Amino acid sequence: MTTLINQNPVIYEASAGNSTREWREDDENEDAVDVIDAQEIFDLIRSISDPEHPLSLEQLNVTQRDHITVSDEDDTILVEFTPTIPHCSMATLIGLCIRVRLLRCLPSRFKVDIAVRKGTHQSEHAVNKQLNDKERVAAALENSHLLEVVNQCLATATSGGVVANIVRGPAPAN
Amino acid sequence: MLWRQDQGGHKRTIRSVAWSPDGRQLATGSFDATTGIWERDEDESGDYECVATLEGHENETKSIAWSKSGALLATCSRDKSVWIWEVEEDNDFECLSVLQEHTQDVKMVAWHPNEELLASASYDDTIKIWRDDDDDWYCSDTLVGHESTVWAIDFSPSGDELVSASADETLKIWKRFVPGNALGIVTQRRGEPIWKCVATVVGKHERCIYSVSWSKVNGLIASSGADNTIRLFEVKDATAPVGTEGRLTAEQQKALNEPGVLFEADKVADVRKAHGTSDINSVAWYPNADHGDWLASGGDDGSVRIWRLEDDRGKLSKSQSQIEDCDDTTDDGMLLSRLKEL
Repeated sequence: MTTLINQNPVIYEASAGNSTREWREDDENEDAVDVIDAQEIFDLIRSISDPEHPLSLEQLNVTQRDHITVSDEDDTILVEFTPTIPHCSMATLIGLCIRVRLLRCLPSRFKVDIAVRKGTHQSEHAVNKQLNDKERVAAALENSHLLEVVNQCLATATSGGVVANIVRGPAPAN
Repeated sequence: MLWRQDQGGHKRTIRSVAWSPDGRQLATGSFDATTGIWERDEDESGDYECVATLEGHENETKSIAWSKSGALLATCSRDKSVWIWEVEEDNDFECLSVLQEHTQDVKMVAWHPNEELLASASYDDTIKIWRDDDDDWYCSDTLVGHESTVWAIDFSPSGDELVSASADETLKIWKRFVPGNALGIVTQRRGEPIWKCVATVVGKHERCIYSVSWSKVNGLIASSGADNTIRLFEVKDATAPVGTEGRLTAEQQKALNEPGVLFEADKVADVRKAHGTSDINSVAWYPNADHGDWLASGGDDGSVRIWRLEDDRGKLSKSQSQIEDCDDTTDDGMLLSRLKEL
């Protein structure tokens, strides 16, 4: 088996399955405009699988609800994520998975910016620049192999926080 | 529809299209790394057919451009290079130079309106000026100043100035100074002209600016981007008149190394939500005086829109021309009508 970039990821508890948003009166009002907030964005991305481990981005603390900023009035969203280690070469791929997930799920009016949390990655500027260059992203997604990898990570995205039974300790290396 | 994929066209996204100056050929630059040259089949179907395919780039072709005379074609790519091709008889294209001085993807190439001089814009945050010495092409100058990817560039009507649009949300105006220029700007050692930033338009776009067009007819600059807005600017040379002094003041000399002093750029008009909530990826002014007040824009909503600048220069408004399949939306006196999808 090839060596994993991060052999010993720290694993966090995922919140039990469902959205932790509290019930609001407008939830039952069909005419109310559905305001999109950080919780909703978090719910969309929390269960994306990490490319290397059978765990979700939430379980690895790569994504956190508090690192998402939404402005529903000017239709902007900023998602910051934290790679598990500073030289993580999967950072761009993880960012791309987040972008594709939001591209597919959100109304097109939103302008989405994705960035690594400041100070969490040694090539933070380069990673951020790629993730926010829509031409680079579009060209990358025309690569069928890369698209397949992204789709695999996104396959678990609707499972609400838990990708697999939480496994303590590293995966066995062969 | 001019052609379809099954007729031997491109295998991936077509990113850039350009008419040859004589209007007889259409060049198409594609993510499949090739550039197609198409001609209309006058005899038979009237359809366009691919008469040449230019290969060589290692990955996506981003932009292509014909020189003023139509004798040269430039292409650029994510592979960081700019290629110069010479147009020969019988649809033969000979590659004159492969220029590999950018350190990242080259987003766009644009020719000087009169001379055989090329500018390129790059993900490496710079713009390069290219000239030739008897078909031997070289980088004459590198314009540094933008803080992020330069997405687009265009020359002024005279070709002595250049406007650039960047992901750093600014536009910059650059001016060419030749050796021995009246203001005493020091040029480069080899006798090459030097390009200096003479104005920076800051705070007028709230997100990445994808496209810029400098009208060769009315001299206005149009810019558009991810903030859903098209803006028009008028640029004035605010340099103190070269008369008595003939030189810049010490302050002006110093300022030439800093953004925005010698030229003023004033906003003339804007259209917000020109394509609704969609990014506006390209703007282009009508190339000649036939319709010098027309501006075309293309957006992520999949539509192409034609705008007309009103005489009082306060607005971009509804076009008077007959266009099929009109989708009229009047939204505070702005736009316009929608062209049927090409």
